[in-house]
Parts: sequence; structure tokens; C-alpha cells
Amino acid sequence: MDPETEFLSSKRQTGNEWELFKENVRPLKRGRNVDLLNHALKARTNDQLKKSLLENRRRLIEAIDEYQGDDPLQPWLDCIKWVQEAFPPGGDFSGLVLIYEQCVRAFWHSDHYKDDLRYLKVWLEYAEHCSDAEVIYCFLDANDIGKTHSAYYIAYALHMESKSKMKAANDILNLGISSNAQPIEKLRDAYKKFLARSMRRPNATEEELKEDDLPVRSFGTVLARGESQRQAIKTFELGRNKLKQDQVHRTPLSIYNDTNMDVTRGHHSKPNTGSNSWHTLGGRAERNKENDAMPAKWTSHKIPQRPVPRIVGAVASAQIEVFVDEECEEKPKVHDEKDRTSSLQLRELDGRNIKKETELLRENPLRNFPSNSLPR
Amino acid sequence: MASRTVAKDIITLRGSAAIVSEFFGYAANSILYNRGVYPEESFAKVKKYGLPMLLTQDEENEIVGKEWLEAGKLQRVVMVIMSKATKEVLERWNFSIETDSDVVEKGVSREKSDREIMREIQAIMRQIASSITYLPCLDEPCVFDVLAYTDTDVPVPFTWIESDPKLIANPQMVKLHSFDTKIHKVDTLVSYKNDEWDEQ
Repeated sequence: MDPETEFLSSKRQTGNEWELFKENVRPLKRGRNVDLLNHALKARTNDQLKKSLLENRRRLIEAIDEYQGDDPLQPWLDCIKWVQEAFPPGGDFSGLVLIYEQCVRAFWHSDHYKDDLRYLKVWLEYAEHCSDAEVIYCFLDANDIGKTHSAYYIAYALHMESKSKMKAANDILNLGISSNAQPIEKLRDAYKKFLARSMRRPNATEEELKEDDLPVRSFGTVLARGESQRQAIKTFELGRNKLKQDQVHRTPLSIYNDTNMDVTRGHHSKPNTGSNSWHTLGGRAERNKENDAMPAKWTSHKIPQRPVPRIVGAVASAQIEVFVDEECEEKPKVHDEKDRTSSLQLRELDGRNIKKETELLRENPLRNFPSNSLPR
Repeated sequence: MASRTVAKDIITLRGSAAIVSEFFGYAANSILYNRGVYPEESFAKVKKYGLPMLLTQDEENEIVGKEWLEAGKLQRVVMVIMSKATKEVLERWNFSIETDSDVVEKGVSREKSDREIMREIQAIMRQIASSITYLPCLDEPCVFDVLAYTDTDVPVPFTWIESDPKLIANPQMVKLHSFDTKIHKVDTLVSYKNDEWDEQ
């Protein structure tokens, strides 16, 4: 009997947490394992499960350090996959961005992984979490990473398209095709779709407020790009000019002209250029921000962090912040001195550090790289 | 304990077959839309099951003929999504059907509130739309196929061809809600490929 028939005829059910808490789940391009997802969603309110999640994380990080075989990327991937499953909303407290960064940095100079699709995918997922990924694509280009794969050109071109740099996107896709990147059909198809979209593009300053009648559908790719767009917009709206100097001149308007805005939100956020954001309600993206996977940046308020005594059996709130606070409170286990490798930093970070470090990386994804590796 | 009487409606075999057949049509369209198999422009919005539902523009939205359902010979309907380029099966939407054989043989009817059936179907439709929560992104052109599992004594109509089941190896599987007209009970399951990082 095939597994589907077997499952159908059995009495087993799939838990419904995924549906009940779907707004807390960031879709992944590669899909999710629903049992793990349900487990992670239950863990938000269950101390036992939370503990087991933390244990798992420790074990996976140890596995990275202890790996002896000839594919050292694999334990990193296991860890990344697990973090994605265990922290359904993603977000700044999950440590996902940190793991991406440490993983790519561990192997960037390695010839072994230059053409490895899995390694490229880690870079591409990292890029999706950054406020401006162009520096990452330039880095990959300069260091010849992933350039035999269509995925590289498609992602790079999409990024340029999102900044309205249509000519650059066009050139990138063409370069990929002439380099015979694989799978070539996928690249050709992406190019066709890109051409169709560029025909449909409205003029530069037009902004459509699309009231979408149809029930919205969204896919992992669109959502992820949308997140980085929203991050960029929020950064701008909150008046903090963290964009690099040259980009300020080129991109401010193009952010709002983005016709690639993810359809889940439907509306473009109206720019609050410099003015007090309290005077406008903001677009749906702004009003909905509590439901976004990525928490909005806190602005000038410093919320004093008081260590909260851990009460066993206390009712845990549904926010992921509490989850991390417990990690702060746990007595750190005694490490051997020999364990002091870079990947251990993952284990020792507490919630505040994870968020801070994640924010820094988002703005400057290559900040930890040696300067001789950077393009130009 | 207070008991609540719900107004029940009479369900006949014919009526139930119509409900189930219609359900398949709407479910298929919902899958085609939500999974991006056809472009958005191909769909028009209609109201059904108390939800905004979508149908493709062409009229022929009957996926499976009612005759098999009325004869109680339809066991399962599977909607398969495959990569257009490689024909690899990426997703399978399984709808298994249990038919009350008493009704088929003796022509009796059953009772159930129409509203309740509609609510059950609505729950399934909502789940189909929400399944992007866990389904892998289909970022390549895909094709859609319908497989019907029937009793072996059913002759194959000329519009159908015999086929292999187009299974997914080592699938991830999620059981969704079911609905029951008291004559036909439909269970739903979606299976999809485990996505490995080294896949194109």
C-alpha cells in the first residue's frame, strides 16, 4: 500500500496548529514539515517542548563542531533547516540570520563549495533577509560562487528588478543564459516572465493602490522579497537613514515604485517622508505590522531589560520574546576551553544579542568578512 | 441536557453525487489558483460555500462525472501537480470517497442539514487556501492532472486513459478536514515532496 493510501485509511490525524496559528508562520520556499511545525507552534505555550527545542538546538550546533566527514556543510544545513522549522515566524530572535552568516562565512573561500547549490542557497536565503542584498550578489560575483546555477541569476535579477533597475536585471538574466547556467529552462522561463512584467510596468511615479478583490495568494519567494522591501520601507519611514550613501540617491523613490510589492499586502505603504508618522494611518502593511513575521524596529526607545526570575510552570505568553528570555535565564553549561570555536557563539548568545546582531547583519551583511574578500 | 434540533434536509443519492461532484470542481479550481498553476487572469470570482471562490473561465468545471458517484464506484480522486519540464510529481491532492452501499443498492435516502455539509466543505476550502503555510513554493511552470480511482468493474470512458498512480517517493503528508453527506464521505489529504537543498 502506498504511504498516502495507508495514511488516508488510518485513523491518524494531522494536528491543526498549522491552521490555527498560520499568521505566525513564515512560509518557506522549500516547504515545511507539518509535524515539526505543529510541534514548534505547540512549544510556544509549552515549557517542556520549549526545553526540548533548546536542547535540539544545542545538539545541532555541537554537531557542526564535531563533524569529521568530508562534507562539513551538511551539519550547517541540518541546523539551518531545524531553526527554520522550530521558529515558524522566523524573526530577529530566531538566530536564523546569524546562522546563515556564520555558515556562509565558514566556507566562502572554499573551492569545494563554490559550485555547490546548497551553499548557494544559504547565500540566497541570507540575501532575502537583508535590507539591501546587492552587496551580497556582488560578493558572489567577485568570488565566483554559484555562477553555474540559474538560481543565482534569477535571484540577482529579481533583486535588481525590485529596485527598478530593469536594464541591470535584463543583463544579468542574459548573462546567465549565455553562461549556460543550469537548469537552463528555468532561467529562460524566468527571463520570459521578467520580460512580460517589464512590459506591464507602469511609469516611474505611478502608484497603484490595488484593492485586490480576489483572495490573495502568495508564495514563498514573493513573501520573502516583500519582507525585505517592508524592512527597507520601515527603515526609511522611521527616519533613520541607514542606507548606504550612494543608495540614498538612487533608491529612495524606487522603493515606493516597486511593482513587485508582495500581493499579500495589496497596498503600497504611503511614504511618510520625514513627517511625523502619527499623522497618517499608514498603509495596510504598516497597520498590519504586528502580524508580520519580522518585528518592526524599535526606534529611539530603549526598553530597559530587567532579568525576569524564571517561574517554573508559569503561564507563558504567546510572544517569542518570552521564549528567549528563558534562555537568558538558564545557567550556561560549563564549556571546555577547547570548545571556543566561532560556531559556539551561536550557543552562547542570549535573546538581546541575537536581535542586535541580526539587525547589524541585516544592514551590513558582510560586516564580519575580512576586507580583502570584499568586492572592489 | 438540552438537545438541539437541527433542521435536516433529505439527501438522495443523486443529490449527494451532485454535491460531491460540484465540490471536486471547486476544489480543483481552488488548487489551480492557490498553487499558481494557472495565471490569476484565468479565474473569475464567484460566491460559493459562503466564501469567495474562483473558477476558470471555461464552463467545463466538472472534474469527475456524477455517474460514478451515483453508482458508488468512485473510490478516490487525486489531483496531481507536476513539473511541466520534467513531469516530476510535486504535489498530490487526495480525495478518498466512502459511499454508503445501502443507499446505492436500496435507493434509500438520508438526512443531514445542508448548511452543515456546506460548513464542512467550507472548512476544507479554507484549509486548501491556507496550505501555503507549509507547501513548497512551486516556482516553475506546472501541469495539472486528475486521476480517478474506481472499482475494477468500471469501464474506462473514452475521455479517460489508464494511468499509473504518479506517486511521490517519500512524501510529506497532511490530512485535512473531511465532509460527509451521509451518503458519500470525502477525506482529504495533500502530499508533497520533501525539498532537499541540493535540488534545482
